[in-house]
Amino acid sequence: MPPPAAPELHAPAPRWLPDFCSLPVLFAVMVVAELLVLVILIAPSDETRAVLPRLATTSVFVQWLGLVCAVCLCKLRPQLQRLSPGIGVLAAYILMLLVTVLGSAIVFEIDHQLNLGLTLPVEFEQRFIWRSAALCALLGAALLRYFYVIEQWRARVRAESKARFEALQARIRPHFLFNSMNTIASLIRARPQDAERAVEDLADLFRAALGNDKALSTLGEEIELAMRYLAIEQLRLGDRLHIETDFHDVPLSIPMPVLLLQPLVENAVYHGIAPLPDGGTISINVHQNGRRVEIEIRNPCPPPGQRATQRHGMALENTRSRIAFHFGARGTLDIDAGDNHFVCKLGFPDESADR
Amino acid sequence: MKALIVDDELLARERLDALLRDCGDVEVVGHAGDGRAAVEAAARLAPELVLLDIRMPIMDGVEAAGHLAKLDNAPAIIFCTAYDEHALAAFDAGAIDYLVKPVRIERLRAALERVRRYSHSEIQRVGTKAIAPRQRTHLCARVRGNLVLVPILDVLYLQAEDKYVVVHHTGGEVLIEETLKSLETEFEDRFVRIHRNCLVARQHLSGLSRNGNGAGTIFVKLDDSDASLEVSRRNLPALRKLVRSL
Repeated sequence: MPPPAAPELHAPAPRWLPDFCSLPVLFAVMVVAELLVLVILIAPSDETRAVLPRLATTSVFVQWLGLVCAVCLCKLRPQLQRLSPGIGVLAAYILMLLVTVLGSAIVFEIDHQLNLGLTLPVEFEQRFIWRSAALCALLGAALLRYFYVIEQWRARVRAESKARFEALQARIRPHFLFNSMNTIASLIRARPQDAERAVEDLADLFRAALGNDKALSTLGEEIELAMRYLAIEQLRLGDRLHIETDFHDVPLSIPMPVLLLQPLVENAVYHGIAPLPDGGTISINVHQNGRRVEIEIRNPCPPPGQRATQRHGMALENTRSRIAFHFGARGTLDIDAGDNHFVCKLGFPDESADR
Repeated sequence: MKALIVDDELLARERLDALLRDCGDVEVVGHAGDGRAAVEAAARLAPELVLLDIRMPIMDGVEAAGHLAKLDNAPAIIFCTAYDEHALAAFDAGAIDYLVKPVRIERLRAALERVRRYSHSEIQRVGTKAIAPRQRTHLCARVRGNLVLVPILDVLYLQAEDKYVVVHHTGGEVLIEETLKSLETEFEDRFVRIHRNCLVARQHLSGLSRNGNGAGTIFVKLDDSDASLEVSRRNLPALRKLVRSL
């Protein structure tokens, strides 16, 4: 089975300046420019010309400035991106202001050379240019900020989906898959019926692992899945693995995220029972405490000096972030790591009544 | 060819056993469930081939391979493991071949063919190239021709004597042919040097004492032992600091 192809997740370098040549960004610039035109027209003034001609000329002027700014930013983007974000944004901002001042001055000159009378009378040249610059300064700042926030948000979404994908991959150890396959290959000769059951258990586990991450499971299904996992490990480890379970008549229909319990039980086997020559007992206790469900997984483990693997953290971190994702602060994962034992306590609210 | 099968899972051992039988010309002389049992069984049974799992309790396969390579009749080693994250470590440990589980019989036959092609001296040459794992869990010694594996956690102190090192452990003492310097480097975090010729296990260190004769010599006291070991002037300051932090 080839490994699943990673979705397009390679995060590009942090981008604080959008690609101004891309259509969505150009469109946003034009919409904002046109909004500005409307604001200028609606604002009270001593202008005597009719609204429609004013709309047309102002639109042409503002859109032209906006597009020139966008083209300049687009062409200079590689250079700007090389600067640090703070200085880069400042440079982009100054560039926009320069374009506006120059553009306004040129337009004013042309207007007066041709005597079109579309801008202000000739004595107001300074006023016209500075008014344009001020409007550009205000709007440009808002626009750059808007693009920056959008880029940040996209980067976060990318990072989250990447984390989710990695979590999915890490959930079942490849070790477990290949060891299980080996166990089944061995059972087929000697105990075909056990082999059949092991294949069924493995299929259930992978159905859950490869399924939709958002799907909520129930406490009963989660316990069932953990027991299927343990049934396979029992075949491998034989007498070295003892299992004690206590499910104090908890309502099995309580909703909980799928595959939350199994990785913790897998941890208990992988780090606890497997390295111990004589194995030991994994005990799983589930009980309800008011509106909370508490699951405790306890296993013996080798003393710190004899631990070969120090990768305990990954599955736990993964579980912790998934609990936080589903339950917020109301979900908890407490660890009690002693010299010879390891206890993992999972707590979360019973949300069945909230629905 | 005599073969020893080493895996901590019974079913995995049974499968390899069955496959080896199907290969013919191979006699399975024994099974072992961990690295330490494997080294002891190999010393007793003198197999020509050991099929070795890597992840096992007590002593892992890579370390066991290192000990096996030092036996008089060093066997050829084929690693069999579920997942290939250890492949490089395995070849560093002097393996002839490396199989992934579930092992295919064709692949096993090819590995056996490789072992047959290698002469005895070549196998030993591969073995001695073995790079020891970062830190062993056992020290391996010979006592009247028998192999003794001493868990590193049981070692109280190590004392250099001529070209040997005497390993004093909770069950007695044995000689090993290693240098104190290399042991000090390997077990940096476990032992502390108290004298030119002596390393003491930090975990068994209980305190320092001064002898009554007024000569000013300082001695180390150990848990589980009435030995009193002399501390050299040079190592005293560092040792004082360590004892204070206990």
